[in-house]
Amino acid sequence: MDREANDLAGLVARARSGDVGAFESLYHSLQAGMYSFIRSQVREAELAADLTQQTFVRAWESLPRLRQDGAFVGWLHRIAANLVRDEIKSGHARLEIAASDVLDDPLPDQRATSPEEAAVFQGLKAAVWAALGQLPPDQRAAVVMHHMEGMSVTEIAQAMKCRPGTVMSRLSRAREALRRRLSSYVEDSDAEM
Amino acid sequence: MPKCERIRRELPQYAVGGLQGRARGRVLRHIESCSACRTELAALERTGALIGSAGPLSAPPETWPAISAAIVARPRPHGHPAAFRSWRVALGIVTVLILIIGVVFVRPFHSSSPPVTVTVTAEMEAGDDDTPATMESHLAAQWSTPLADEAAVGLRMSDLEGS
Repeated sequence: MDREANDLAGLVARARSGDVGAFESLYHSLQAGMYSFIRSQVREAELAADLTQQTFVRAWESLPRLRQDGAFVGWLHRIAANLVRDEIKSGHARLEIAASDVLDDPLPDQRATSPEEAAVFQGLKAAVWAALGQLPPDQRAAVVMHHMEGMSVTEIAQAMKCRPGTVMSRLSRAREALRRRLSSYVEDSDAEM
Repeated sequence: MPKCERIRRELPQYAVGGLQGRARGRVLRHIESCSACRTELAALERTGALIGSAGPLSAPPETWPAISAAIVARPRPHGHPAAFRSWRVALGIVTVLILIIGVVFVRPFHSSSPPVTVTVTAEMEAGDDDTPATMESHLAAQWSTPLADEAAVGLRMSDLEGS
């Protein structure tokens, strides 16, 4: 287990014993990934924020029942996936994501240093999320967890309750589709290299 | 099917590390000699990097205050840590095993012992000593702890027979 995972497991252990400060640190470490994961499954930003909130509240309540501190991230994704599924069943959530839907979503950090860079980055973000919106939900979830959250194939398989081979298959099909849909950006970055 | 076309179908799987053994070797050998397929593989790899550079998004800033208010307002239901839970499970299993052993092995042994016959004599009925009370308490005890008290009743009966 690397240092980051150790730190996370330590925070989970403290949060389980009732330390709200530790749970807040967990939230700040994981909120962007969790929100993106949920946002990849529902169209409305407001609903995604609400489901993110519900995910963390439910996690706090259920933490004493978590068996392995190291399994926290996958467990959190399962809570979120169940909430999203319930929301979709109830007919409240829409799955399609349009480019315009994510333009106003805040970024976790301000990477662009100038207004021009910010505009380019905003365009890239919109294009990626629009392309993601055209993928099937399982592929979308796998792409967000792997490329945006940095989760390994094994971790994704545990979170999605499927075999690692299934995750790799979803990732490869998604990447093939995204490579076509984002061809202008892919070729631009090729030209810059 | 031309070789490049077949290899390109496998490239996405190769790019995510999903090919093993012979299939992986075949792709590797081909891209060493085919610049067009090498370019396609590079594009797939850049696509992965591009997706990573576009995200993730951040939850709205008001999300944590709402979570914090919710967890303070609704205290966590009391639960036991996982280690304690596993001890409880182990203790339960041991208890069940002891009960099973008790029923399977001890019960037949107990039922094969000769039945205790209590003879109430005229002296006892006359109440010239505390024997009836003693017997009553022993019989009550025998009901709750049959094995232990059977021995006590036996001893008491031999006392009575000897006197």
